[in-house]
Amino acid sequence: MSALLRGPFGRRALHSLAAPYALDALAPPEHRRFERHLRGCDRCAAEVRALREDAVRLACSTAVAPPPALRERILAAVRTTPQEPVPQPSRSRPGRGPGRARAARPSPLLVPLTTLTAAAALVVAALFGVQAARTQDALDRERARASEIAHVLAAPDARASAGRDARGGGLAVVASAERRSAVVTATGLAAPGNGRVHQLWLVRPGAKPHSLGLLDGDTPLVATGLGTDATSLAVTVEPRGGSEQPTTSPIVQLALENVGFGE
Amino acid sequence: MEGGRRPPRGGGNTGEAEELLARVARGDQRAFEELYAVVSGPVFGLVRRVVRDPAQSEEVAQEVLLELWRCAARYDPGRGSALSWVLTVAHRRAVDRVRSARAAGERERREGRRAHGPAFDQVAEEVEAGLEREWVRRCLDRLTALQRQSVTLAYYDGYTYREVAERLSLPLGTVKTRMRDGLARLRHCLGGAV
Repeated sequence: MSALLRGPFGRRALHSLAAPYALDALAPPEHRRFERHLRGCDRCAAEVRALREDAVRLACSTAVAPPPALRERILAAVRTTPQEPVPQPSRSRPGRGPGRARAARPSPLLVPLTTLTAAAALVVAALFGVQAARTQDALDRERARASEIAHVLAAPDARASAGRDARGGGLAVVASAERRSAVVTATGLAAPGNGRVHQLWLVRPGAKPHSLGLLDGDTPLVATGLGTDATSLAVTVEPRGGSEQPTTSPIVQLALENVGFGE
Repeated sequence: MEGGRRPPRGGGNTGEAEELLARVARGDQRAFEELYAVVSGPVFGLVRRVVRDPAQSEEVAQEVLLELWRCAARYDPGRGSALSWVLTVAHRRAVDRVRSARAAGERERREGRRAHGPAFDQVAEEVEAGLEREWVRRCLDRLTALQRQSVTLAYYDGYTYREVAERLSLPLGTVKTRMRDGLARLRHCLGGAV
């Protein structure tokens, strides 16, 4: 006789949990117990699937368009967030991933951090790529840069934002208003053309744009000493070596209010 | 209004989300943008309904949507529609959040109506959602009061069935049955697949 037939959670009692389960109305211990039962009960699985589809009808009736800023944040995060490669055979819900491969990842309950960590991973990868053949001086500069990047990413007020140009090229920023620093990464911008470069500008109200430097592919650029009155970042195409002031109109511009500036 | 079943849901979402998820699983960022357009409204609306707090709702929705990107490969078409999978994940996360908030005594109790009449602004709502909302509302009205309360306290407010039983002063068995019958009646009234 199966152990399932005995005790307070006998087979029939377990079956009756299908509806609460479909409504996510089981406390964790019962939830786990029912999921174990589900694995060996095709009839329950079919019933749960049907009940879930019913519950989803309740969900669809609540649809509301999210704020546009959410889209920007998520698409920016997607550009730097690695995907889980292998489908999980169990019916565990996403986020409860395999341990080792993702051990260094924060829990899925901390997505703002996930975003930042993913950005950090990209930054670190880019740094390694760039560091390959540099002199000691250059390496020291890179280290200082990496250190500042780490500080920005670790700042308690660090926030991420992203913007895109008409062709889908983008500018992603992680900034700390407290540290007055930002890490800026360009991805997918159209090549600036022969003898021309991408130059990054800080835009403030009532002041001329201030050059933050030239963008080198998708190597992150660290901007320090930012005033909290900074309202946006802009990228223009300039002659090689850059310009004192922008000579063309921006190909992409990103407001900084989402990352704690411009107040 | 008059009886009869609801015609199958319009909007062409069925099948589209499945295909998009498959492309997203292969790392296609454009497909993710399209998927976002399809599912972000339902995900955000549901999370907002359960979590209530706007800032926390955004956080949970972000978590869920980013997880779709990371874990798209986990979707198994054999287990139901893509939208159903997405919303199941979203609901689970929203309920986790609201329960931990409750456990920590954080949940604000500024309470409006619950099963009907959403508390948030309706400016950005899609027409499709409006129609669906109206149908669901009508069908919920056809349930008995106990069926309706059992289903909505669990699904929209994130209570466990034990908590629902306590709130309604009903035996556990009765609540489980009301939940199952309520969902079955909803299915009959709404008809069609998601």
